[in-house]
Amino acid sequence: MTETPQDESPDDIDALASEYVLGTLQAEQRIEVQKRLAQDTELRSAVDAWEQRLYPLTELVEAQSPTPRLWERIERSVNSIERQAPRATAAAQPNSWWNRLALWRGLAATGLVASLLLATALLTQTAQMKPITYLVVLVAPQNQTPGWVIQASSPREIQLIPLGGTQVPADKALEFWTKADDWQGPVSLGLVTPGQTLSVPLDKLPPLEPNQLFELTLESPTGSKTGKPTGPVQFIGRAVKVI
Amino acid sequence: MPEPGFDYESCLIACARGDQQALRDLYEQESPRLLGVARRIARDNVLAEDIVHDAFIRIWTRAASFNPARGSARGWIFSVTRHLALNFMRNGAREVQVSEQSETALHASASMEASLETAQTFDYHGHSGRIYTCLEQLEPAQRTCILHAYVDGYSHAQIAQKLGTPLGTVKAWIKRSLVALRECMG
Repeated sequence: MTETPQDESPDDIDALASEYVLGTLQAEQRIEVQKRLAQDTELRSAVDAWEQRLYPLTELVEAQSPTPRLWERIERSVNSIERQAPRATAAAQPNSWWNRLALWRGLAATGLVASLLLATALLTQTAQMKPITYLVVLVAPQNQTPGWVIQASSPREIQLIPLGGTQVPADKALEFWTKADDWQGPVSLGLVTPGQTLSVPLDKLPPLEPNQLFELTLESPTGSKTGKPTGPVQFIGRAVKVI
Repeated sequence: MPEPGFDYESCLIACARGDQQALRDLYEQESPRLLGVARRIARDNVLAEDIVHDAFIRIWTRAASFNPARGSARGWIFSVTRHLALNFMRNGAREVQVSEQSETALHASASMEASLETAQTFDYHGHSGRIYTCLEQLEPAQRTCILHAYVDGYSHAQIAQKLGTPLGTVKAWIKRSLVALRECMG
């Protein structure tokens, strides 16, 4: 069991930060720390200090020349990001979201309610300069009530943001899944705590694609035993590219 | 080593403004060293280039979030790269059910076995800086644990295997070494 932040002494926080930076935390603990870094200033300062302490050790590694292909790939990706979500210039920034007609058209086409758009725009505003490239609204399959929003500001990481409380029976857990059109089956993105934002690095998956399916299902408390969704779908939605 | 004349911070500010030339400058400046760091952890050339690709995309999209009060600009781009590499290695070990990706993960773990046999030793002599002075004060085995973890990206279990030392001992050594380093470095 991981300790809750309330039980942690400054020494515990420093120990967690040091092992995170050193690299010896396991996948679940790493994800947990990365999630906390967004809000937990004490943990963040400890991590920053450890990054500074240990970073001179990168000198021990021999440099290696990249293939010419690498820059070409980076350039292509940067160009495609800029095409999808050109960044706001300083002058246009305060109202850039409201001026982005294509965004409104794209979202309206998915038939969302106006309040939801507003909520999403507000969430996005707080994310400042991170261009959002995909949005997904997860709705309850029975009555289409929106429950969660997924925003992806990079093709490599997504955030699952609750729009309200979600009731989960005591002996069950919510599990988060995704599947693109041409994948053989859904892939688990982990367990979700109702009412809390979850950041998921997608390093292990192919980049997000339009129409990619996301869903939350009810599973046993430790997640589906079969590695595939087995319980009822609680929320479901597909990725919409923000142009 | 950071190049004395190169202004990393201005490059990040320019990236945040959308200046692609600044990203190119950072790439020219640091891609071989970043690739070295990623390659050492990923133990695979193709994977290492994927990681550095992702790192530059992240540097591009998150340059605005860089805060010089929290550390150096060069340190930031190295942490971005290292953590992407570590995320990949740790998550890959959980065997994701995407066929193409599983192959990559299997491939990575196969080359892992090979590199555990022939892991490079660390020539940390001749480097100046507080961390090196403080490392010098650790027991040699404990120092090796810290270096395998940070530089090679080895997990506790991999270090235990490599050194032929019980897992619990390795965990305790690392914990203790980190506390000692903290005291030594302030």
